Amino acid sequence: MKKILLIFLLGLPVLGFSQSFQVNLQGQKQIGMAGAGTGLAMDEAAIFFNPGAVSFLKQNGVQAGVSPLYLKTAFRQTGSAITEYNKDKIATPAMAYAVFGSPENKLRFGIGAYTPFGGAMHWKDDWTGRYTVTSLDLQAIYIQPTVSLKLGDYVGIGGGLVYALGKVDLQQALPLTRENGEAGTAQLKGHSKDFGWNAGIYINTQAGITIGVTHRSQVTANVDDGDAIFVGPSSLQPTLPTKFTAALPLPATTSIGFGIYPSEKVTLALDVNWVHWHKYKELAFDYDNNATIPDTRSARNYHDAAAFRLGFQHQTTAKLALRAGVGYALTPVDDEHVTAEVPDADRLLLSAGIGYQGTKGFGVDLSFLYEDVMSRQQTNGESGLSGEYKTRAYIPGISFSYKF
Amino acid sequence: MKPTYIIRSVLAVAVVAMASCKPEFKEVTPSKGTADFSRYIAIGNSLTSGYADRGLYLEGQKNSYPELIAQQLKAVGGGSFSSPFFNQDQANGSGYMILKGFNPNGTPIIGAETSALAVRNQVTRPPVGTVTLYTKYTGELNNYGVPGIKLDQVDFAPLGYFNGFYERLLPGDVGPAGTTYIDFVMQKDFTFFSMWLGNNDILGYASGGGVGDVPTPKATFSTKYQATLNRLTSKGAKGVVATIPDVTITPYFRTVTLATLLAAVRATPNGAGVENLYISTATGTRIATAEDLFTLTLSSDGVFGVPNQANIPYGLHPLNPIENKYVLDKDEVATVMDFTTAYNNTIKSAANAAGLAVVDAGELLKTYGAGAKVSGIAVSSAYIRGNLFSLDGIHLTQLGYAIVANEFIKSINAKYGSSISTVDAAKYRGVKYP
Repeated sequence: MKKILLIFLLGLPVLGFSQSFQVNLQGQKQIGMAGAGTGLAMDEAAIFFNPGAVSFLKQNGVQAGVSPLYLKTAFRQTGSAITEYNKDKIATPAMAYAVFGSPENKLRFGIGAYTPFGGAMHWKDDWTGRYTVTSLDLQAIYIQPTVSLKLGDYVGIGGGLVYALGKVDLQQALPLTRENGEAGTAQLKGHSKDFGWNAGIYINTQAGITIGVTHRSQVTANVDDGDAIFVGPSSLQPTLPTKFTAALPLPATTSIGFGIYPSEKVTLALDVNWVHWHKYKELAFDYDNNATIPDTRSARNYHDAAAFRLGFQHQTTAKLALRAGVGYALTPVDDEHVTAEVPDADRLLLSAGIGYQGTKGFGVDLSFLYEDVMSRQQTNGESGLSGEYKTRAYIPGISFSYKF
Repeated sequence: MKPTYIIRSVLAVAVVAMASCKPEFKEVTPSKGTADFSRYIAIGNSLTSGYADRGLYLEGQKNSYPELIAQQLKAVGGGSFSSPFFNQDQANGSGYMILKGFNPNGTPIIGAETSALAVRNQVTRPPVGTVTLYTKYTGELNNYGVPGIKLDQVDFAPLGYFNGFYERLLPGDVGPAGTTYIDFVMQKDFTFFSMWLGNNDILGYASGGGVGDVPTPKATFSTKYQATLNRLTSKGAKGVVATIPDVTITPYFRTVTLATLLAAVRATPNGAGVENLYISTATGTRIATAEDLFTLTLSSDGVFGVPNQANIPYGLHPLNPIENKYVLDKDEVATVMDFTTAYNNTIKSAANAAGLAVVDAGELLKTYGAGAKVSGIAVSSAYIRGNLFSLDGIHLTQLGYAIVANEFIKSINAKYGSSISTVDAAKYRGVKYP
């Protein structure tokens, strides 16, 4: 969980696990169901998925999990026959939740920590696009204390304050040739601390359908006084920046979800997410020294984009649950704005999971998520980097829980 | 089932799946189309030889655009390709300009590389003057790039007597009755050629401020270009030719300007009130305008503003004007553009008539010179920082040559239906800083 986030010089955002640099790995049960869960009162991860459903949880509990993420991106420059790959690098988004308060009471409390945005993209130092990015580590950890109130048997409302801790480390080659014939390098490192919120309504129709509506607010990650570590020719070194400021919008997400229960053992979950990416108009870096490197304002012009998730759970025995899911996420990125740190495109999600609930409150959940990001051929309007991207992500996950 | 067993099974499956499933693209199979690249030769001048920073040296030779093209041709049946490399112990060849640093006002400090040269001798040969001779090259030859050669000289027998870069390619002692360039080239058995000639037919006139050299007459250019193509295609070889860039867009003419000169004068204690600079032109001395171009050498020669014996500062008074050789005045600019356009029309029509591929290098350098991005690298015609032109302000950097190589490849592919891969231009450097 040491890897967090950043952006860069000629302008770039991050690599994604679900949609651009949004990460949808917040609960192992839900991951096994393609990330659906807004309309369910399933477990402690409802703190993220729908704070309104927390008051409907039958037990209190704590859980912690991790989803090591292995992502392979291929790039082939236009006109070339050579395929280049990013380096193997495992990112580890983690999640932890606790719900407490008496299940008999209307008011419940919770606290959660999760990673809704992030990226880890590492290219080889001499790859074709090294003057746009060589590596990006981006992480936004949200810590969310939550209250949830049950209004009768039908409706629960809840909300939480989000404290967002961001971290970014963006690196690229610098197109200034040094005396040894090699290019310089640039690294931008910084932290951010910002606030947001998460609120939801959960409705149990008592007729075999549950409904959830949630909204997670935008958080603008402001990196002030970040370190700009430029290594250039010695004759230019005094003219290179040492500090930078930047702001990256982590967009709001509005979701609606349904839970359907065809039988005692079967749960179906359907979610639609609407991610307000249109706020991501540009990525700008302001440097403290512009003698050689000008400030950059890179157009992003993302548009809002939806994701659709259908999950299925079969409670095979009292202890064992099997899960599966399928989803499709539409890219918010237009042609000419796709960048190598987030080579985004529409993506297909396939998932599976197993849950095992022990007799004494202990449980373990396993998930596996496969993401197939469609190949995409384009020329970036800003960098001129032209080529085709294709990405696949393999994300196993595990969490342990204890109910009390 | 025990939970540990389930966990192990799932993890095992996951690890296997992850390791085996890299994303793949559809395989690209390079094809030679209707051309035969088995024996490729490159005909041209300094640009073809890999000349940069006012010199020919091993690093530049290794990254000449014909070398880059030849590497890519290997996947479509291209054979071995030999350039007349300088030996490693004489790697600096003719010597070249190096960037030593920057003055406090930001202007560059330029030095010269003078070690490990391949200079064999310097001789005086009228009417040309001093001719530098270099260590001879023997062995296979595919890159026939000869710095300084004009199209007008391809059938000029004494060329080897006056051009040291050509002399080093020729065997034995070379006298005034030598071998013409085109005859020398035609001794080679080749199936495909590239030809980028014509730049020097106008460059000498332009870089000397319109004095010292005259442009090759348009009719002569047309006749000789046609004749040269006829010879090259006489045995059935196919090929690609390139137009010539408008030299007035290069940093050689766009770095020192009326504005920068006036600003420099006005920054001096007695210069605050200076309004005009004076230039000497073919039609007399007059006030310089923004349409007159100044050469890079006006700055590097350090003459500007220096008082003469009558204590009149150079360039600031009609009695001590900037010499004609440092100024391409607006009439001369028009002449350069007129000849460049005429030459390029000849090149395009002759190539089309001969069924050859054409690279519009003039348009290419205009586009990139105006400012563009190459895989994240900003290039422009700005001196040094533009990454496109080398320190001499006329010849290209290695990055610039890589851009040119890709344009040749694209033109070849378009003409002959081949699918030669382009090179990764971002792997080639711009200007080297200390």
